[in-house]
Amino acid sequence: MFRLGIDVGGTFTDFTLLNTEAGSAIHYKLPSTPQNPAESIRQGIPKLLAVAGIEGKALGFLGHGTTVATNMAIERRGARTGLVTTKGFRDVLEVGRQLRPHLYDYSQIKPSPVVPRRRRWEVIERLSFDGSIETPFLEESGAAVAAALAEAEVESVAVCFLHSYRNSDHECLMRKMIKAALPDAYISLSSEVLPEFREYERMSTTVLNAYLGPAMATYFEDFVTSAKALAPNIEPYTIHSNGGLMTAATVRDHPVRTCLSGPAAGVVGAAESARSAGLPHIITYDVGGTSTDISVVRDAKPTFTSDRQVAGFPVRTPMLDIHVIGAGGGSIAWLDDAGGLKVGPRSAGALPGPVAYGLGGTEPTLTDANLVLGRLNANALLEGTMPIDIGAARAAIENKIATPLGLETDKAAFGIIEIAVANMSRAIRSVTTERGYDMADFALFAYGGAGPLHAGELALECGIPRIVVPDAPGTMCARGILLSDIVHDLVRSAVAPADSVSWLDVCRLFKEMRCEGDRLLTRDGVLRERRTFRYFIDARYVGQNHEVRVPMEAIGQGDFRAFLKGFSEYHTLEYGYDIPGRAVETVNCRVQAIGDVTRPEQRFSQDSRSLDEAMTERRSVYFGAAWGWLETPVYRREALPQHKRIEGPAIVEEMSATTVILPKHSAALDGMGNIVIEVGL
Amino acid sequence: MSREFDPVAMEVFSNRLLSITEDMGNTLIRSSFSTNIKERRDCSVGLFDARGRLIAQASHVPLHLGSLMGGVQAVLKTYATGDMEAGDAFICNDPYLAGGTHMPDISIVSPVVIDGAVQFFTANIAHHSDVGGSVPGSISGAARTVFEEGIRIPVIRVASRGVVSDDIMRLVCSNTREPEERALDLNVQIATNARGTALLESLSDRTGLGKVLGAVDDLLAYTNRRLRNRIALLADGSYSCTSYLDDDGQGGDPVAIAATVHIAGDALTLDFTGTSGQARGAMNVPESALRATVYYSIKTLLDPNLPPNGGMFEAIAIDAPDGCLVNPRHPAAVGARSITCNKVARAIFGAFAPLLSDDSVMAAGHDSIPAIVFSGERRGGGPFVYLETVGGGSGARADSDGMDAVHVHLTNTSNLPAEALEHEYPLMVDEYGLVEDSGGAGQHRGGVGIARQIRAMQDDIVFSIRSDSHVIGAPGVFGGAEGATASLIKNADGPDREELSSKVSHIEMKAGDSMRLETAGGGGYGAPETRAPSALAADIRDGLVSRENAEQDYGGPFVEQAVLTAEGEMG
Repeated sequence: MFRLGIDVGGTFTDFTLLNTEAGSAIHYKLPSTPQNPAESIRQGIPKLLAVAGIEGKALGFLGHGTTVATNMAIERRGARTGLVTTKGFRDVLEVGRQLRPHLYDYSQIKPSPVVPRRRRWEVIERLSFDGSIETPFLEESGAAVAAALAEAEVESVAVCFLHSYRNSDHECLMRKMIKAALPDAYISLSSEVLPEFREYERMSTTVLNAYLGPAMATYFEDFVTSAKALAPNIEPYTIHSNGGLMTAATVRDHPVRTCLSGPAAGVVGAAESARSAGLPHIITYDVGGTSTDISVVRDAKPTFTSDRQVAGFPVRTPMLDIHVIGAGGGSIAWLDDAGGLKVGPRSAGALPGPVAYGLGGTEPTLTDANLVLGRLNANALLEGTMPIDIGAARAAIENKIATPLGLETDKAAFGIIEIAVANMSRAIRSVTTERGYDMADFALFAYGGAGPLHAGELALECGIPRIVVPDAPGTMCARGILLSDIVHDLVRSAVAPADSVSWLDVCRLFKEMRCEGDRLLTRDGVLRERRTFRYFIDARYVGQNHEVRVPMEAIGQGDFRAFLKGFSEYHTLEYGYDIPGRAVETVNCRVQAIGDVTRPEQRFSQDSRSLDEAMTERRSVYFGAAWGWLETPVYRREALPQHKRIEGPAIVEEMSATTVILPKHSAALDGMGNIVIEVGL
Repeated sequence: MSREFDPVAMEVFSNRLLSITEDMGNTLIRSSFSTNIKERRDCSVGLFDARGRLIAQASHVPLHLGSLMGGVQAVLKTYATGDMEAGDAFICNDPYLAGGTHMPDISIVSPVVIDGAVQFFTANIAHHSDVGGSVPGSISGAARTVFEEGIRIPVIRVASRGVVSDDIMRLVCSNTREPEERALDLNVQIATNARGTALLESLSDRTGLGKVLGAVDDLLAYTNRRLRNRIALLADGSYSCTSYLDDDGQGGDPVAIAATVHIAGDALTLDFTGTSGQARGAMNVPESALRATVYYSIKTLLDPNLPPNGGMFEAIAIDAPDGCLVNPRHPAAVGARSITCNKVARAIFGAFAPLLSDDSVMAAGHDSIPAIVFSGERRGGGPFVYLETVGGGSGARADSDGMDAVHVHLTNTSNLPAEALEHEYPLMVDEYGLVEDSGGAGQHRGGVGIARQIRAMQDDIVFSIRSDSHVIGAPGVFGGAEGATASLIKNADGPDREELSSKVSHIEMKAGDSMRLETAGGGGYGAPETRAPSALAADIRDGLVSRENAEQDYGGPFVEQAVLTAEGEMG
């Protein structure tokens, strides 16, 4: 059987086809088609099938990751949306948390909401904090709003009433009235999209869902139809921001969940690859042309957050906690008027690109520095298809950086790399220390085009003892899709003092959510024996306003003590202390309903060639003032033998990336196709 | 002596040192108990050299910019570095005795001993939700002296060689309303410095102390040079602006804050001569808070990404007459300084306006930090105090309308969601929205204010407020109109509707009574008749500007034309 993973990025669409019997993989790349995102998939699948020499019906699985939703939100190409909310609250979407985006820079302003004020309506109704009715739903005011929505010709509607996470009756009534007035409108209720308290975040998530809904529904219909036409035996899946797979039906109701789809797949793939290499704790380090994504994986489990922003708006659905740093290969090096050397945040991007690419770039970039120092091979970029002008790169660094600073050109170029690494290191340290982790316990999992190029210096700067560079580092996202499970995240707010009485309510909620999870997995066609349920309770000490997520083995009447014990443990783990005897409050109940999709294994051939046979050349590479220029062996990755030690300095080249092994570092290819580098701190 | 400036090492070490402060900040926020530190992030951490120069700071509120310096300098004045040992920690908060900014902000300063001598200090400051005094929360606009504002802590050694003094902790914590939380958070503050100390030791171990110290000198010199370059571009001369508080917290006339900026070559002095005498209430600004306000303003006006360190501070001189609102005499109360600080920023921004190019000038924002406080009995029994500071409109700029509903200048603190508030307290939010017609008209409109109306759900709720800009609105620039003033109305929807003044306390509320605060809008930029008709039409369609007001501010024919054009475009 064959399994296909597709990652639709902003620039390229990546395909990875895995032959599960042979354990072999084929990677394929096409430019993306932003006008009609499903088009690149429609074009790519037949081409890939032709390369592999198989028929569409040999495909048994197809999963895809996409940044279509995020791009649509950023470019504000979503639907004409209306918002219906409780009287007195139509501006919540605009006030937000009353914060300005930057403390000192007033040119950075709040983004205006995707629903302008003229399309935000209020209905007379009000619930209390406990879900009881304070003011009954006034039918006339609901009808008037429904008529106004029709008059305004909206394509989609978000409904978000205060405290609806406790009682969805009024939102459901409103939906009926909207449906009557606007039968074709796409409707999102906050009690369904995110039944969680804190009105601004719930409203923002619901509004974004409605804003993306109509266009995403069209895209998915298109995608599913063409995928099924090409591969009749599959039910196409999409990966969501939490790293799990979902079916087309779920995506239609919850498009907002796909916002971090592609990068999430990369992290899932990294976590899974590292686990099978025996490394449960990793920091993922994905360096592209303009940005770097990092995330923390502990015990082979990616870290989650429900505190992310998409296009400047909060989205509270669970997502993998991926941090984006504005630094990549295209980051520009520049001098300020006080003699400071800076790298980024401006990037030359793909166009005009680095100076060496000769596409019009005049400002030296990180990539230029790598070329000048011999770390990147001037002839091997994209297998020699791209002409490289090292002289131009060298001249740019000399004229714009080295001469004004009175530095030698080599040192200036190396300074650019050191500063870029210092910037990235600071971001990585901040992400790990925020959670109280010690980096000595982690391995650095480097992928993306430029990750393996800087991983050595980064590990040294951060104190990370080991680096892993997976096979084909440029295709991690498409591969990650093949390693994911179906996951539904369910949440209900239950803000109450935790005691043996309220515990019964908690148990009832979990029972309901478990049933809902079963229903969803049944709809997805997951067999009973392949289902797993994970339970979590968000809780806090009374008087706190921040919660700790406590995982629970089971939630039954007798488990209250286990919950309190777990809360103390996790509070200590997260914050370093607990307060015995202080009253605890439950906030949210969460269930993860997981449908296990068999994970295929990629196998790597074990031939016993020697290292010498894998070596393509020796070239001079600069490793900083301490080492200067060193004659450095260069290896072809595909030809590397397993388990043979490579002592740095050395360079390993492949189609999608270059790995630099620093002096004193030592590397070997393991049995899973990973290059594992010991940093020897 | 003439070591060469090394730009690469400086940038690399700058990142390493900032990493240490970020690690300390994370430790402080992650491990603290109180919402004030953990969620509102009302805290800052910093590294200093042995001379007390700030090297790096992780600050979450501009009001803390440079305010750690007061504490560190007080420590250096009180104790000789030769008498300090590894593992020591000093505590202080007093604005007059120890460079504090107001009583609730407690600083911890710890020496870092490397090679047998103090080489650095690690320091942090956190806003504690109560430090005793006459009212819960320790801030009362009515306080006359610092003695009413909570426990006064001069610089004292709270830990010796790694052992925290139980005696001192008990003394401090017993003087507050929540001793358990104070003790938890103070211990976290001490541990935060210990973390920073360990990281500095390890950095110096790894790279050598000399390299670290060299990079620090480079960094401070670089920052100083960079700011002086900005200053040198400004025309020499003196430029003044006066802003006003509605009153000094005890009623009476508006209170003037006069700021004059003197530019001579690359030297900059801010002079507050002409400012009214010190307030009878707690609106006074102590030295540390004034410095923070000046540093914030200059960073924002001249170089928003300038690293905040001693090199920046050395380029700026501050002069304030003794006994005035921004340099009060002991023991004048200072608890409510933050509103005044925002008005000081307004005066500084105004003074700079003629120095900047037209497109970097910003109209005044609401420039207040209105704080509302409700207290009473919880539903299940036990007292509660709910405090919130409410945003307003920011000033319009050359390239955009002012932002609606934000904190401006020295604070940036998030709200409490209505749903969280109603769970917690016997209160109900009737409205939380934008104030129509509150943004000053102009080519670019000032941001609009926030309306927050809260109803008591039971008897015996007590309400207090510290607010401003209820009398004097935010001025516009280049012909832009003034923003609307703020107002406080009791029972806005009832027959017993009553407007209250900006600084009232202990107002009794019965079940069903409501308080409505409408905060001020920002000033406009440029003449109203140059506004893009489509932008005006959109404001009218969105109800942010009423047709009636628009006709007054922009002229009837202009409005008519704008609305017609917009309708044409919409089809």
